[in-house]
Amino acid sequence: MRAFWKRPERGRAGFARLVLAAYVLLALAAPAIAPQNPYDPLQIFGWEASSPPGTSSGGGYVYLLGTDGLGRDIISTILYGLRISLVVAVTSTAIAALIGVTIGVSAAYFGRWVDAVLMRIVDLQLSLPTILVALIAIVTLGPGIDRIILAIIIVQWATYARIARGVALSEIGKPYLDAARLLRLPTGRIIFRHILPNSIAPAITLLPIELGHAVALEATLSFLGLGVPIDKPSLGSTVANGFQYLLTGQYWISLFPGLALFGLIASINFVGEDVRRSLDPRSRSHDA
Amino acid sequence: MTHDSALAPLLAVRNLTLKHRGESGAATILQDVSLDLHRGEVLGLIGESGAGKSTLGNAILGLLPAEFDRMGGTILFDGEALDAADSRSWGRIRGRRISAIFQDHTASLDPLMAVGPQLEETIRATNDGISRQDARIRAIDLLIRVGIPDAGERYHSYPHQFSGGQRQRVVIAIALAGSPDIIIADEPTSALDATVQKQILNLLRELVDETRVSIVLVTHDMGVVSDITDRVVVMRHGRVVEHGVTSSLLDAPREPYTRSLLAAVPRLRLSDPETRQEAGENPKSPQPQARHELAGTPPILLASGIKKTFHRRSLAWFPKGHGKPALQDVTVALEHGGITGIVGESGSGKSTMGRIIAGLETAGDGTLEIDGTAFDIARSGARNGLLGKVQMIFQDPAVSLNPRMSVGATLQESVRFGTVRPGSERPDVATMMDRLGLARSLLARYPHQLSGGQKQRICIARALLASPRIIVADEPTSALDVSVQAEIVALLRENVTERGIAMLFISHDLALVQQLCSAIYIFKDGKIEDKGPADFIFAHSRNPYTRTLIDARPRRFTH
Repeated sequence: MRAFWKRPERGRAGFARLVLAAYVLLALAAPAIAPQNPYDPLQIFGWEASSPPGTSSGGGYVYLLGTDGLGRDIISTILYGLRISLVVAVTSTAIAALIGVTIGVSAAYFGRWVDAVLMRIVDLQLSLPTILVALIAIVTLGPGIDRIILAIIIVQWATYARIARGVALSEIGKPYLDAARLLRLPTGRIIFRHILPNSIAPAITLLPIELGHAVALEATLSFLGLGVPIDKPSLGSTVANGFQYLLTGQYWISLFPGLALFGLIASINFVGEDVRRSLDPRSRSHDA
Repeated sequence: MTHDSALAPLLAVRNLTLKHRGESGAATILQDVSLDLHRGEVLGLIGESGAGKSTLGNAILGLLPAEFDRMGGTILFDGEALDAADSRSWGRIRGRRISAIFQDHTASLDPLMAVGPQLEETIRATNDGISRQDARIRAIDLLIRVGIPDAGERYHSYPHQFSGGQRQRVVIAIALAGSPDIIIADEPTSALDATVQKQILNLLRELVDETRVSIVLVTHDMGVVSDITDRVVVMRHGRVVEHGVTSSLLDAPREPYTRSLLAAVPRLRLSDPETRQEAGENPKSPQPQARHELAGTPPILLASGIKKTFHRRSLAWFPKGHGKPALQDVTVALEHGGITGIVGESGSGKSTMGRIIAGLETAGDGTLEIDGTAFDIARSGARNGLLGKVQMIFQDPAVSLNPRMSVGATLQESVRFGTVRPGSERPDVATMMDRLGLARSLLARYPHQLSGGQKQRICIARALLASPRIIVADEPTSALDVSVQAEIVALLRENVTERGIAMLFISHDLALVQQLCSAIYIFKDGKIEDKGPADFIFAHSRNPYTRTLIDARPRRFTH
């Protein structure tokens, strides 16, 4: 803990790492530790809807954080919602990175009109507000967890593509790629074995940051009611569920999931920043 | 300030030992190094990469990063211990009494400041109480002194408006601004062409003779040492191997290492072929046939009337400057199984020619025939079928191998995708490793785990394993230490010619080309300036440019 005061960014990252690890463990263990399965109507008692924190439940446990408007235990909803938030964010970020890097590297390799077309799409994509792109995607694709993942991929791939293209361009000028061309290697081999492995490092340093963005974006979409279905709420939709009750003083339905969401995004961002710094050779010397 | 130069040296390094704290533990960079520098003397500090010569130069300048620990020894400047100096005393010494010239003349100048004011600024910083007027007069004086033509008119020109040689002259002027006693010159001419290098070295020598400044010249180039130094210190692995007066040390080196360094320097023969001794060295070389005429037998490759201009296109991969054409009507022929050389200075178009022949670059005009088959070189090499016919060996082995592929994978790829000649088996990677003197255990390594020489051998193996009939080698030795350079040249000669492969050897080094090639083309500004059999050109050519190139070489290494 002394490190926390002497070098705040170090201590903060260490603390954030613990928090993030706890989040992941809780998400994994949710079915075992949650008092209630919020997806199972048989375990939910409608007459206990909107109970304040501390109410004893008919199921023989205490609603530590209260229940929501449908009678679901808030703690259980948070634990299960965490699973959805994390799965959506991790899956979409990974796929977006893979697609984006491949497109960026291909644009750099093929050059000419391929490059021009792909990069103009990237420009278009990046010039529109994230949330707008995501909304258009969701409205077009329809609701569902897989659609949300797809929407986040559509939002995120362009950043990776632009970064990977820049690195790939400088790699393509190097003689080892001339040598590859002189062997008349198949295009796929040149791209995936020669250019891509050497262009991927900066994109990887971007991953942790984008992961945080993905969690936030999913939560935003769910909050707007365009995200995951209401019977399988993520953190964002749980916050949205409680929104209508805020005015009547039933703060707990929105507040606790909101705090959980805040902690998750904050810890991902702090850890991500730390990981990015240690991966980036240019900033490594400052940390040494 | 007044010292009897014979008794008290201006600068004395005594038993200096330096350790570097790295990620993988501490390493000794300098071990017990001692040297003396007297007033008005040029001291050469020569050694191969990793010898610690630049570290020593930086230590004298007090510019060592914090990861260096002084384990022992001292540096005495004018009787004072420099290692005791704090940052304030360094302010009085650095720039005023000890200044520096570095290799990269582009990075040494502020690109956004005109050279005159840049020099003026240094003069004002290193001469207390000098008026703006006097500083400007002195700046113009210095620019004239270092040989900038029209110094007054070009006072407000920016660095990019000067040539490389002129930029290095400006850097020298800046180093002279504080009228220093010592200049540390770290590879001051390594980034320059041979003819320009000669001029800069002459300038440094004149300055020493005229102003009695002392120079520590850090270099890897025996030619530079032999040209202008009075005394020389040979370093290896952080130790002083040998030191002495330049002429006697070069004439009669005592240490085997010095001898091997000297032996590795390619020598240019200006005498007739009959008096050559090296001819017997390699009886298998196909020189006797190729030597007579450039176009005696039908060549394996004929590139004629090649023209190339780089255009600035918005979507091109590598937009280059427009205007001057890179190649203008150039014709080059390669003999079956012979080695042909292209010599030229930077910007002469020699590398472009190699890339066009390999199919990596298109040409604006001209024809290319390999074994009677013509290729449409206005189209890209992938489309016209030229790509793959020729393999290349590149200059810098550090970027010529995919850093994310093991050596074994790289070589296997070459076997798998290379051409198979009818009637012959696919070549074997392990056998090739043996042939090139590489341990088979290296196959599992990655490029960053190899030395520069090993990497270049791997590149040669890669080119050979693809079984080409033609290889283009673009400055394959200029990024390597001299001793390694000699090994690579020997390997190329044995392995390429024995396999009946024709090679185009591109280099700036006349002696190297003469050693290796039967026929030579001399390129200048995108045109062929001179051509002919190698020995004839150097012994008898009357072309003035060829003579300039020959004269730019250190005399000691020319016979």
